[in-house]
Amino acid sequence: MTGNLWKYLKHHGQPFIGLLLILILGTILSPRATDGSIVFLSLGNLTDVLLQQTEIGIIALAMTFVIIGAGIDLSVGSVLALSAAVSALMLMVWNPHGPAVLQIGLAIGASVLAGALIGGLNGLVITRIRLQPFVMTLATMIGVRGFTKWLTGNVNVDLGFGDVPSGQFAELFSSKSFAITIWIVFAVIAHLILSRTVYGRYLRAIGENERAAAYTGLPVRGVRLATYIGCGALAAFAGLIHAARSHQGNPNDGVGYELDAIAAVVIGGTALAGGRGSIIGTVTGTLVLGLLTNVLRLHMVDSNLELMIKAVIIIVAVWLQRRSSGAHGEL
Amino acid sequence: MNFKSWRRLLLILVGAGWVTGCTSESSPYKYTVVFSQCNNAEPYRAAQNAAMKKLWGEQPDVRLVVMDAQQDSVRQIAEIETAIRMKPQLIIVAPNERAPLTEVMKRATEAHIAVICLERDIVEPDYTSWIRVDNRAIGRMIGQFVVDALTKKYGEPKGNIVEIAGLKGVEAETNRKLGAHDVWDKYPNIKVVTESVANWSQSLAKDRMTEILSAVSQIDVVFGRSDPMAIGAYLAARERGREKEMIFVGIDGLSGKAGGINQVREGLLAATCVYPLCVDKAVEVGTKILHDPAFVPEKQYTISSRLITPETATESP
Repeated sequence: MTGNLWKYLKHHGQPFIGLLLILILGTILSPRATDGSIVFLSLGNLTDVLLQQTEIGIIALAMTFVIIGAGIDLSVGSVLALSAAVSALMLMVWNPHGPAVLQIGLAIGASVLAGALIGGLNGLVITRIRLQPFVMTLATMIGVRGFTKWLTGNVNVDLGFGDVPSGQFAELFSSKSFAITIWIVFAVIAHLILSRTVYGRYLRAIGENERAAAYTGLPVRGVRLATYIGCGALAAFAGLIHAARSHQGNPNDGVGYELDAIAAVVIGGTALAGGRGSIIGTVTGTLVLGLLTNVLRLHMVDSNLELMIKAVIIIVAVWLQRRSSGAHGEL
Repeated sequence: MNFKSWRRLLLILVGAGWVTGCTSESSPYKYTVVFSQCNNAEPYRAAQNAAMKKLWGEQPDVRLVVMDAQQDSVRQIAEIETAIRMKPQLIIVAPNERAPLTEVMKRATEAHIAVICLERDIVEPDYTSWIRVDNRAIGRMIGQFVVDALTKKYGEPKGNIVEIAGLKGVEAETNRKLGAHDVWDKYPNIKVVTESVANWSQSLAKDRMTEILSAVSQIDVVFGRSDPMAIGAYLAARERGREKEMIFVGIDGLSGKAGGINQVREGLLAATCVYPLCVDKAVEVGTKILHDPAFVPEKQYTISSRLITPETATESP
């Protein structure tokens, strides 16, 4: 048992060690609150970090599947903005009549459906026309952003406050307990799908060697299509939390989220070349980024320096990954 | 991964920690004041930051921490959440947007931290005090200047106006526009031919104005809801050789070489309105909050403005 754990950590342990080191550093360097307590370790601060990472965390789960399948999805940030805008429009402008539960349900359903459709479009073009994932999702990233701006008239759609349906929606989806629980539930489901299902095994095989997978009769197109649909739907779900947290549907939000998600996946040890990776690693990578940001902000480090330090962490993570996998030429 | 790799990772993280430790000061300040700025990149905001640092710097027992949200409301929410955990005595916030910042500022007041809204407010009055400028009055001031200029040009109040808007949903954007329209709506021959959103950015304003110049043949006035946006529009018109056809008016009226007052003096802008930084009042009120537990600030303080034209631009501010 101990031997297996050591073997796992030896090959996949760098994100955990990174997380541990940041926790130690954060504790040592943490400022003290006026009552003398360690700010970094306070439950409030740690749950703040979890809440702040929820959106990227959920997107990163989906991105793990895409990258393990040797793909990439650059459209997730735009899909997040689309979902936030659709939910805000549903609740504030289009305003379907009926009880609050129905209105909120319709807003959630429409947003997630919109995300799944964009993901489906990505998957269809990538598998049928065989456009490169980078090119296709770059195109949808631009197109969906434009569509969202057109849909909202490039104006932020603010949610209401109090007992109105939009206020109830914002209160629910931005609450710490709800958002963090949703992330954990999604992470557990994603882990089980990836490690315990036929789909998960197929995805790894396709990511490892697509041609070989096709020759052995695996449903390459179906698996890839499902992966992109899932990615779009999860990005849309993150958009719902984003809308609630920012209390609006802003068509310009979510820019760069795809890169943060990819960074979390890479730090978590998933190979950009596909075939290898884990949900546990991705969650750890997301926490590494969140805690690092928190440590820096608690120390009021210049936000520009924050970006530079994150860049170093990403490079180090990829470099360590290459060394541990024994690949020196490519990823 | 071998021992060497772990050692290198450890060294890099310790290095990051060292940088962190070096760039932040651990010191025996009695008070901590956090200033959450919505976007350092705007000249008006940079002027606010400089004034804030200067004025708080004169108080040796106060540690000022400036956070930059980079025009990202979600980032500003996260920064204020972190600030709340540090339990400062005072948080001064220049909100990026009204609705998104409302809930987190409520949490700050619930944590018994004094909160001052600088220049912009939030949806619910969950703050200790709001240092504001009457943007609607400023809009009316600029609106009347435009009417007078058009009357001088045509002998009657008529003409085509282009509006370059700031970030939608922000109080300043809404009321500056409403104020100008309070005046223009009385004159049916004054027409707003188009409005374009440039989010307070000079470069975006230049891009939007370039498009407008292709689409609109006759423009008399460009009303930028901030000086940088008015200047961006001016630069686009100059590239097309059309800058003499129209006048450019803005709002901010910052001093200094790149400020709006000097741009009026140089003839790039026909007029601007001084939009006070509000920092003096914020520091005055904040200082009283820190030192006098019995002090109860007013819910709002309104700072007055003034119009800058070529005739008044030579006066010292």
